[in-house]
Amino acid sequence: MLALLGTAALVLVAGAPWVSPAAAGGKNLTSPQNVEVCIIDDAFTLKWDRSDESVSNVTFSADYQTPKMRNWEKLPGCQYITGTMCNFSSVKLNVFEKIKLRVRAEKGNETSPWHEVGSFVPYRKAQIGPPEARLKAEDKAIIVDISPPGTKDSLMWATDRSAFTYRLVIWENSASVDERTETVYPGGKIYKLSPETTYCLKVKAELRLQRRVGSYSPVYCINTTVENKLPPPENIEVDAKNQSYVLKWDYTYENVTFQAQWLYAYFKKILGNHSDKWKQIPGCRNVKTTQCVFPQKVFPEGTYLLRVQASNGNKTSFWSEEKALDTEIKTAILPPVISMKSISNSLQIYIGAPKDTENKSVSQAYVLTYEIIFWKNTSNAERKILQKKGDFVIPDLHPLTVYCVKARALVEGERWNKSSVFSDTVCEKTKPGNTSIAWLISGVCTVVFFIPAVIYVVKHLLGYIKYVFFPSCKPPPSIDQYFSEQSLKNLLLSTSEEQTERCFIIENTDALVTVEETNQVGEDHKKYSSQTSRDSGNYSNEDENSGGKTSEELV
Amino acid sequence: VIRKYFWPICLVGLFLTSVLSQSCDLLYVHLNRVTWQNLKLLSHMSNPFPVECLKEKKAFELPQEILSHTQPVKRHIEEAFYEISSQVFNIFSQHACKSAWDEKHLKQIQIGLHQQVEYLERCLEEEEKERDRETLLNNLKLRRYFNRLGNFLKDKKYSQCAWEIVLVEIRRCV
Repeated sequence: MLALLGTAALVLVAGAPWVSPAAAGGKNLTSPQNVEVCIIDDAFTLKWDRSDESVSNVTFSADYQTPKMRNWEKLPGCQYITGTMCNFSSVKLNVFEKIKLRVRAEKGNETSPWHEVGSFVPYRKAQIGPPEARLKAEDKAIIVDISPPGTKDSLMWATDRSAFTYRLVIWENSASVDERTETVYPGGKIYKLSPETTYCLKVKAELRLQRRVGSYSPVYCINTTVENKLPPPENIEVDAKNQSYVLKWDYTYENVTFQAQWLYAYFKKILGNHSDKWKQIPGCRNVKTTQCVFPQKVFPEGTYLLRVQASNGNKTSFWSEEKALDTEIKTAILPPVISMKSISNSLQIYIGAPKDTENKSVSQAYVLTYEIIFWKNTSNAERKILQKKGDFVIPDLHPLTVYCVKARALVEGERWNKSSVFSDTVCEKTKPGNTSIAWLISGVCTVVFFIPAVIYVVKHLLGYIKYVFFPSCKPPPSIDQYFSEQSLKNLLLSTSEEQTERCFIIENTDALVTVEETNQVGEDHKKYSSQTSRDSGNYSNEDENSGGKTSEELV
Repeated sequence: VIRKYFWPICLVGLFLTSVLSQSCDLLYVHLNRVTWQNLKLLSHMSNPFPVECLKEKKAFELPQEILSHTQPVKRHIEEAFYEISSQVFNIFSQHACKSAWDEKHLKQIQIGLHQQVEYLERCLEEEEKERDRETLLNNLKLRRYFNRLGNFLKDKKYSQCAWEIVLVEIRRCV
């Protein structure tokens, strides 16, 4: 023991001269290696490896810096750490901003160089932790209430709370081989289970579109209850029929009454318990039949969840599976309206978009395709055309034949295939086929007659032009003088007026700058001047005309 | 100032009609309509902006460049719209939101946004399957912006004024 202490002291003594120069230069302690940041939900940890295991009493400290900080600051929770990891979750970082970290080893006054971790965005680095689940059993179903990953006021997933999807794996405890995977929303149910059986499950959260998958929760197990005497209604269906929805279901027993409820579908995206938010569907209370009808008006546009329950005196069944009602999808498409016109041997067809009862065109909501079926009245051979345009021509038909057409509207989508019933059949006789030839002949005839006429007119026009612009003989000198003087005067007059007009414009802008009233005056001036100029225009025109006349008379 | 920024974004909303096509065409028609309905509802929801809230106003710096790619790619627009609608839905589903406005309008807005989110989700997922392309839907700028909105509400303890301000902000990007 003494010997050991002695050697330790010796090492210390021997080490002392070693250490002191190192302390001055900071070269002796080496910086930590393999520094790693690990973020799970709101838990931030920094891990590293000691680079020199032999040196004892070494502690580690870390700094951090964000783009808004000028200098490095001490990272709370990561100062003088004796171990090789620290937790800095207490720092309220903006998880969407970049952050830089650095760590170093320390011993007394001695420090190692910093080991810097390149900048990173915590949100990008964060892993999704396990969600928490609470189970409630029915006879053939389990209700899974889920708390999202992270703390209640999670900063990391604050913008993702409603975007998580939860996938769970469920199996019978006795036969763990038979696994089932399901996607649930918080408060959702897993159906089609057996009564009085122990089931176990684990859940994980996902941000599917970010391709981020979280880790599984611990395994939870629960026993389903004894089978209820009254089973829940099954095979819930909802259909749209003349302004109403028809909700139907199957039920084996008689002498029971049913009631149906609805919930906004968006609630499944919002956390919390929504079991008290279900509302009675009007007209579906104490129904004795296995269907009930309620007006479409009850549900404004949107997606809803519907569920049905059976009761028999004082016993009630569990709720049925939930059925989604998308008002958009359930709305029946009405047949289109056709009108037809025959043009020689083809048919021009106009298809109007189906109208709903409020006389509002449905086509706004859907991309409609029309399926048009047409046939000769005398035969049964049908031809089918698919068209997106509501206005098109069927060419190359037999002349003077009656053709009949009917059409229906289709909505095509990967998920929804819907069609209307066929419209009323419309028939129309095509026109005689030779009309086009007659037109051609008459066309040729007119062309033949027109060409000489055009040549004749052009020839005469050229003659007139020649007379006017290049007169072969000059007018007498007196008239010529008079004429030129007049035009000169006109020219002078008009140019002088143009100048005054420019003046007014300048005055105008000045007036604009100074006083509004003068501006009005300026405008008046402008009006006046334009009037005078127009007058003079007429005047000069008249002059020109008269001049022209004189020249013509002379000719 | 609000109006000034409001229009460019709205125009982008209109843009959606022309750019989205083909595989999700039905979805886009829905979307287009839903987007306009949301916008209408949002403007119905708030009466004239309360003057007493003006002093609490804050610049949230809506990232203007979200959709300012020189040639907006359909995918980018879809992604941006998905992110925006899910973020707005997220904000509107926060607690204490109810007291602030007419509940009927709020419900309709939530229905609309939920539909929008669901449709876009389907659309994006289908496309991903088709093209097997990697996407990382985490536009940080948008997230920072909505995070600022969320924090503002939290700091102001979800007061009426805070909600009014947030509503004005959101109208700019729905």
